[in-house]
Amino acid sequence: MSETNKKTKVFFPVIAKEECKGCERCVTACPKSVLRMESGLNAMGHPHAVYIGEACTGCGACFYSCPEPGAITIIEESDDDEKKERK
Amino acid sequence: MEYSNRLLLKGNEAAVYGALLAGCDCFFGYPITPASEIAHSASLLFPRLGRVFLQAECEIASINMVFGAAAAGRRAMTASSGLGISLKQEGVSYMATCELPCVIVDIMRGGPGLGNIGPEQSDYNQVVKGGGHGNYRCIVLAPNSAQEMCDFTVKGFELADKYRTPVYVLADGVIGQMLESVTLPEPVKKPDIPEWALDGSARSRRNFLTSIYLEHDDLEALNQKLQSKYDSIKKAEQTCEKYFLDDAEIVLVAYGIASRVARTAVKKLRDKGIKAGLLRPITLFPFPNDELMKTLGTAKTYLSVEMSNGQMIDDIKLGISCRKPVELCSRMGGNIPSVDEIMDKTIETLEAAK
Repeated sequence: MSETNKKTKVFFPVIAKEECKGCERCVTACPKSVLRMESGLNAMGHPHAVYIGEACTGCGACFYSCPEPGAITIIEESDDDEKKERK
Repeated sequence: MEYSNRLLLKGNEAAVYGALLAGCDCFFGYPITPASEIAHSASLLFPRLGRVFLQAECEIASINMVFGAAAAGRRAMTASSGLGISLKQEGVSYMATCELPCVIVDIMRGGPGLGNIGPEQSDYNQVVKGGGHGNYRCIVLAPNSAQEMCDFTVKGFELADKYRTPVYVLADGVIGQMLESVTLPEPVKKPDIPEWALDGSARSRRNFLTSIYLEHDDLEALNQKLQSKYDSIKKAEQTCEKYFLDDAEIVLVAYGIASRVARTAVKKLRDKGIKAGLLRPITLFPFPNDELMKTLGTAKTYLSVEMSNGQMIDDIKLGISCRKPVELCSRMGGNIPSVDEIMDKTIETLEAAK
């Protein structure tokens, strides 16, 4: 996905909190170190990964390293969409 | 990378050159004699070209890494010998179910068990008949020279992508270890990441794979889909090499190094005036039944020349619907049949059939 990464595009990971088992592989894999572990637990009692909120390049390393099918999705948006929709 | 077009290569190394020219992105493997040079050569060449080489902790890990790379739409390969292929079978079954392409090179050595490191063809059944659990088959290409190790690896990637199925390149220890001159083919244009690949985007979420179908009807539908794919492979992809088959009274069938010995035997028998011919299957699955049927007109009997305990002889019998006798000329344990042995057995078989 990094091939399509242009300045007008913004990427960010969406981590399904309840799917995460807290293995921290994505945290280790992220070349930009923009993922960290949340101190709280999810409903299953696992710590879970969160995005710190900026600097994701959309490389997909977290997705490819995640052992849980579909726990991470990389969202690609243009700058304008991001301002409107992102929390 | 700049390369000379003609190189002196071991069969194993030729397979790696073929993979690189076919646009293979990653190699995951675990070395084993007599397939080690594939891992050695890949570890040298893949990183130089910006591709991935990874030596896994075991064969099972390596085939599952191939699974992951293939699911992400990359061209991936692994290589091993019979013992390692036994371990990889679980992963191959999963890949066949999920319809993922990959190329697996099997350099056969002596078995069963730990066996020895001599050449044998005793992986025929486990590779050609599916091998792992479930109703699946893999396309199997059988090279008999270093040149073909290169060419068939390229062809393997094409077939794997075309049918979305694992493809084996099945060779014996001699073909893997033999040094021969190889003319490298032109590099294949690197294929785009396919539509069905997973890349983490929201769009690719529909491409998630599973091989668990708890509804019996769903699993049966999947099986039927796979079988129809294998039927179309059987129709379209049978290939073989024919040598003096037009008027052959006895047809020798052999692949790998045995086919090269048998070819010399056929030539010598022809010099003596004996009408022998050689059919060399290039694809073992699909077995070249169509060409085999055509030989029924002149053939009185058939001889399976193989370095195993009569594993291919079953396919020959099925190929000709058991209409003529089929005899076995076999050596095992790392031995190769000699030209004289094959000639003697051919004459004996032909006389028994007259």
